[in-house]
Amino acid sequence: MGFHIVKRDNCPLWQKCCLYIGAVLLAVVIGGIVLLSIGVNPIKYYTRMFTMGMIGNRIAHVTFMNYLKKLVPLVITSIALSLAFKMRFWNIGGEGQFIMGAIASGFVALKWGNVLPMWLSLIIMCVAAMLAAGLYGLIAAWFKVRFSTNETLMTLMLNYIALHFLMFLSERKEDWNFFLDETSARPKFASFSQFVKMPTIKIGAKFELNICVIIAVLVGVLVFLYLKYTKQGYEISVIGDSVGTASYAGMNVKRIILRTVFLSAALIGLAAACRVGTAGILSTSITEDVGWTGIIVAWLAKLNTGIIFLASALICVLQQGSEVAASSFSQVSSSFANMLQGLILFLVLAADFFTRFRIARAKKGEKNNG
Amino acid sequence: MDKIGVLTQFVYNIVLLNIPLLYGTVGEIMVEKSGCLNLGVEGTMAVGAIFGYIFGCYANSLGVGIFSAFLMGALCGLIFAVLTVSLQANQNITGLTLSTFGLGIYFFVGHSLKAKAWPVMNDYAGVSEGFQGIQIPLLSKIPIIGKGLFSHNILVYLGIVIALAVWWYLNRTTLGLRLRAVGENPAAADSVGINVKRMKYLHICIGCGIMGIGGYYMGLNMSGSFNSSCWINGYGWIAVALVIFANWNPALAILGTFVFGFFNALPVSASSLAMAFPKGLGWLAAIPSQLYDALPFIITAIVLIATSIRNKRGSSGLPAALGLNYFREER
Repeated sequence: MGFHIVKRDNCPLWQKCCLYIGAVLLAVVIGGIVLLSIGVNPIKYYTRMFTMGMIGNRIAHVTFMNYLKKLVPLVITSIALSLAFKMRFWNIGGEGQFIMGAIASGFVALKWGNVLPMWLSLIIMCVAAMLAAGLYGLIAAWFKVRFSTNETLMTLMLNYIALHFLMFLSERKEDWNFFLDETSARPKFASFSQFVKMPTIKIGAKFELNICVIIAVLVGVLVFLYLKYTKQGYEISVIGDSVGTASYAGMNVKRIILRTVFLSAALIGLAAACRVGTAGILSTSITEDVGWTGIIVAWLAKLNTGIIFLASALICVLQQGSEVAASSFSQVSSSFANMLQGLILFLVLAADFFTRFRIARAKKGEKNNG
Repeated sequence: MDKIGVLTQFVYNIVLLNIPLLYGTVGEIMVEKSGCLNLGVEGTMAVGAIFGYIFGCYANSLGVGIFSAFLMGALCGLIFAVLTVSLQANQNITGLTLSTFGLGIYFFVGHSLKAKAWPVMNDYAGVSEGFQGIQIPLLSKIPIIGKGLFSHNILVYLGIVIALAVWWYLNRTTLGLRLRAVGENPAAADSVGINVKRMKYLHICIGCGIMGIGGYYMGLNMSGSFNSSCWINGYGWIAVALVIFANWNPALAILGTFVFGFFNALPVSASSLAMAFPKGLGWLAAIPSQLYDALPFIITAIVLIATSIRNKRGSSGLPAALGLNYFREER
């Protein structure tokens, strides 16, 4: 008896939900078995991880604020990447674009932060970051449309060029390098938190809501509307389906690619500005890998803007939670989150298959060719 | 230090520090020739490194280490193959996830072992002595090049042998020809009776196994000291770049390794070179080391653009179906 694979036209929503939730649960179970194998009680560990240690903690609101600080750049980056991915432009240069945005906003903050009023320098920071990141993203896009240079590999290279540029700024002690702290003999980034800091809104007695959270929600809503209801959003999805169709329909494919990649990269720059504006200082690990994690999130969410919020909230819990848990479980490294994250995506990718295809038995008398 | 000594050390470093790149590149060439773009080199190398090191130490044998590094690398390849070949998952995403996943495993395993007892390389004579340099008779007596090229550990020679063997395999054997056909046009290969799935599975696993050995080398070269940064430290990504630079040719990959290796070894030797040759090379010390670090990526970006501008089919070794999944029913 042979089996072969058949494409299925539609998969009911409940089946999809079951498959994906099942995939996530299975990943958690496998992770639990791994934990058991090194002698850690998985239930205790997971409780600590998924609650991020907030239960019975008097400074739980601080934990939650830190969680939001981590979440905002990830959400914006994932949404930005999903724009390019929808068009099947493999922008894996999130890291590099984020770094360029961070450098630009750091530049503004350090150069003019102490002369301009704060609201103005924050706005200029955001605009500068968006421009810098957008232009950096445009490099790969321009070569793609002009010479069909492979954008996956090109953006990958640009990531590392940007990273080493940031490292150069962080280590080069020279007169011109105003990125560094003048008072320190050892090269280290200068802090600008006393001049510019993303404002917060006080809610209740202790909790302070960072304005970046509102920016992230706003970006989410706008991108959702952009993709769903505008002509430009429609063009993106047509190109994603088929470049041939798009150009046959009279669309200027090259221009649309350039425009969308610029927008995608510019939003990543905005994420960087939020991060830098909140942190008040640059660092060589400023990205916290959101450029990579964002790809995973965007894909987990099937490039669906709404679900991106859900997926990035989950991934962020894993990351923040594993760091918290690492303090009470010394033998478990915080990179357990990365492992779990990888497992989840592997299993979700596998689940994808079953939403798109089904395995059918070969009929009697038919030769098995599967 | 005398001038000859400095030069010798420089050539020696070029080879010693960069052979992992060759393993990664040759492995990736094999994978890409089957039409799969695997961006998981970094993770695969990390997994091969940590398990190769641990098992090699426990068995007190370099051979066991090499074998387990290969096996664990191949296992990563198997994950990639199941997802992309059988389950039609996107190759970019799967590869990137493999990188995250592999690095996660590396730190998780290393960290949990360190909490108990980390094996120290020098305690295991079978590993540390096996990794000692081997002087090749006669050749190693040549000044500069002799010590620089022919006094290395066994894994250096193994890497060169693997690269040449893969070149021979791809270009001179029937199976290699079939593999290239799968990478160029899987539907056509399928129609002449080549089992596309089996070819892809086989070569993804072997290629990833080769990467794993490269990771193991990296761990040994750092004397197995486990700390906050990964042993692989970006070499996997450079390997992805080097594949393009070598134009998908394993023999050219050897040359490419040394060209990239030249720039990788420069920051290590720049100050001693500048001291030994103050007139000719004095300026070397003034160049920021970050520029050297970025050079492999800058060069690759330029090569990438140059090849796409030239873009004459036939002259490029880029497999035509690279990155595209093959679904038989859509043929």
